[in-house]
Amino acid sequence: MNAKYEKIVEYVKKHVKADDYNLRIAARNSHETRFAQNAITQHIAGENIDIDIEVAFENKTGRCSINQTDENALADMIKRAEEMAVVNQPDPEYVESASAQSIPQVKNTLDSTINLAPEQMVDIVIKSIANGDKQAATVSGMTEKHYMEIINSTKNGFQGHYDLSEFGHSMTLKKDQIETKVSFSSKDFNTFQLDKEIAHLNEQLASLSNPQAFDAEKIPVILRPAALMEFYWFMMWMMNRRQSDEGMTAFTDQIGKKFLGEKFSLQSTFTIPELISVPYSWDSVVSEETYWVRNGVVETMPTPRYWAKMKNLKPASPFNVYVPGGSASEEEMMKMVPRGLIVNRFWYIRPVDMKKGELTGMTRDGVLYFEDGKVKHAVNNLRFNEIPHDTTRRILTMGESILCDSSVKMPTVLVDDFNFVDKTTF
Amino acid sequence: MKYLDIAMDAAKSMGADYADIRIQKSTTETIYLHNLSLKNTSTDITEGYGIRVFKDGAWGFAHSNIFKDDQVKATVKRAMDIALLSAKAKKGAGLTLAAERSYIASYRTPVKCDPFNLPLKEKVDLMLEVNRMMMNYEGIKQTVFYLLAHKDEKLFASTLGTRLDITTQFINPMITATAVMDGDSQSRTFDEGGRATGWEWINELNLTEKAKQIAEEAIIKVKADTLKEEKPRTLILDPNHLGLTMHESVGHPTELDRVLGWEADYAGISFATPEKLGNYKYGSDIVNFVGDNTLCEGLATAGFDDDGVPNQRWFIIKDGILNEYGSTRDTAPQIGLVHSRGCSRATNYYNQPINRIPNLYLLPGTKELTPGQLIADTDDGVYIQGRGSFSIDQHRVNFQFGGDFFWEIKNGKLHRPLKKVLYKSCNPEFWNSCDAICDERYWQPFGVVNCGKGQPNQTGRMTHGASPARFRNIRVGGSQ
Repeated sequence: MNAKYEKIVEYVKKHVKADDYNLRIAARNSHETRFAQNAITQHIAGENIDIDIEVAFENKTGRCSINQTDENALADMIKRAEEMAVVNQPDPEYVESASAQSIPQVKNTLDSTINLAPEQMVDIVIKSIANGDKQAATVSGMTEKHYMEIINSTKNGFQGHYDLSEFGHSMTLKKDQIETKVSFSSKDFNTFQLDKEIAHLNEQLASLSNPQAFDAEKIPVILRPAALMEFYWFMMWMMNRRQSDEGMTAFTDQIGKKFLGEKFSLQSTFTIPELISVPYSWDSVVSEETYWVRNGVVETMPTPRYWAKMKNLKPASPFNVYVPGGSASEEEMMKMVPRGLIVNRFWYIRPVDMKKGELTGMTRDGVLYFEDGKVKHAVNNLRFNEIPHDTTRRILTMGESILCDSSVKMPTVLVDDFNFVDKTTF
Repeated sequence: MKYLDIAMDAAKSMGADYADIRIQKSTTETIYLHNLSLKNTSTDITEGYGIRVFKDGAWGFAHSNIFKDDQVKATVKRAMDIALLSAKAKKGAGLTLAAERSYIASYRTPVKCDPFNLPLKEKVDLMLEVNRMMMNYEGIKQTVFYLLAHKDEKLFASTLGTRLDITTQFINPMITATAVMDGDSQSRTFDEGGRATGWEWINELNLTEKAKQIAEEAIIKVKADTLKEEKPRTLILDPNHLGLTMHESVGHPTELDRVLGWEADYAGISFATPEKLGNYKYGSDIVNFVGDNTLCEGLATAGFDDDGVPNQRWFIIKDGILNEYGSTRDTAPQIGLVHSRGCSRATNYYNQPINRIPNLYLLPGTKELTPGQLIADTDDGVYIQGRGSFSIDQHRVNFQFGGDFFWEIKNGKLHRPLKKVLYKSCNPEFWNSCDAICDERYWQPFGVVNCGKGQPNQTGRMTHGASPARFRNIRVGGSQ
């Protein structure tokens, strides 16, 4: 741990008068280059730190966070939190801070990312723009790198420290009415291949020429990994153990039951080195190899520490997301159904009915219509109203899982009868 | 503060074409009460400075939380270096900035009772009373009271000679009751979205009475029928609901940076392109939208924006026609405008300012019309209160909105409560179907404090407002 953070930890340890405390430090160093319409429009660099302390006198709590590291600021932070706790009302759901635990060692930081120079990042942008110019199109996106250090320290002995690096590059190409996007995000800059990303982007652009009008209907759909990631993220968000136990979500009383489709599993895992795997959560829940859903059976759900204590459960927190895939190619998927759509991405997904688990959202960045095993043409964007856990029961086949975000790996899936309900007029 | 001068002197000596510094301290007090458990009682303080340098038609922005002379100078240098790098990837001669003069001014949100000075106990006691009241109702399984108070203290200096001292603040109480019954779960929420004022607003709201209403309506809602078949119906929308509708379908499409395609990779672009200015029938003749950063208690009202441009009031849609955009100093010249409308805002010191929605509202109807008269004049329709599910495409054309509470209207009367109502429409169909707006007596503001936009993402705030309004032939139905 950086000496500067150790000093903060020691200061807090020495000066907190409260019965209990939970200290979290999140330090971040970022460089973000944003471009649009073939030029850089924003360009940002700097370091931040967030020092957050939660204290408790018996079961009365108070919290304060600051971004200054000098002793006066730390003293003021502790004072504010403690004063708040003293006058606060007791919290009947208070749980004492986490105790010392064995924390998994994970390599989330790569020198290739940390050492990336701003000049290299601008060079990536310039090459991306050059491709836009070559395609007689506009290109917009973001090139970013981040380095983070996270420290948790509690009165009861939990001591955690980890760091991570992240590189990201996205490109949205717009030519006349066609828009399409690729994005890359990884802890390791060395795995980034700009030429490959550009080729992929150009391939998508070419496939979307001459779009034709298509009315909404229930139809088989091939969801590419970026689309699936958006869609199932919301399902994961609704898989909350307490809310489910209290009858508020579709997952109520579903633990141990085959509530999802047999082909579908959902994990947080350390077994895939390319995924960022944080070793513990904000609330000091140590990450453990977890199947949330195994072959359709709900094994567990994210469970906060209070609810775990109440119900004699193990607290659980997702630390990355992995949906194991299969081996089917898009060509093979297209042959499995008479006709259908291929969706690149979704956009603006929102819950419609929490109890049913129903969501709405739009397609974005390219939709293709296929028939008789072949892509026929691009179509307009569509709106869906769908229930993600229900769609897992309609998965016909899956492709290989790929990295679609630094902490998410998803496959392409073929889902039957996807419920599109409206279309765009552009 | 000396750092203003140190930064501006350094920027000038390094040859900046323009530069500014924004020293910002943001303080947030959050009290989150879940049932009777105080899940979070916190004060968050973030302070630092962001320095923008404009050089050779390109921006560089660097930030720091270290208040030392050398660090300020180093941050200016970093912003300059970044601007020079940015200039390697510019289009033509690069960006230009709209003309602006210098100002020496200050602004402070008018507050009678500062919530930051109020004893915590007073706030928590009220919150506990509200949640207890809602939990007394059989069937209410979860109650949430979320109270947010936020203050931004900014010092701004630019190489134009501007020096600004601005303090803005707002308060936002949000109460939700969730009923679980008969295999369903439904929530009802009181959320006016925040207001730039003090605790005096909380006293006016009578939240214990609101709590009873929210709990009772959550129970009514969980037992209510659904609208199954989607068909064209008449909609009456309350001001709270309209706040979000206009935010998504008018506010975002008329941000000039989106119109220019600057948000193409993330938040999206806009159908309301410049050739439509002055001729595009965005809404019916009675539809008038005003951008107004001078609005009293408005969340975007701050005296000046983060470009150092004074707050203004202007028509965005006039008599149904697209009139103008919300703009900044770097977006306005792109369509030939001489001056910015002052819509450049950053959330935190470490954010580069972006083109934001101003306070934006629908002007009330000019003829005397009460909500009761509007309902009495409607044979068959749905009245929607509050905000619910909302989703719109990245061009801001096609959308689907829900709501928080629904009544079926039959023969001019509220006939029965409903749940899970959704409507689908698009621009310009929706605002052109508006055939009645209640008069100014029924105009209410509605704040948005969580407008996500930009990369890295920023959370902006602004106030909307409307009187209840009626829309004809909108596709309305129930969820699956």
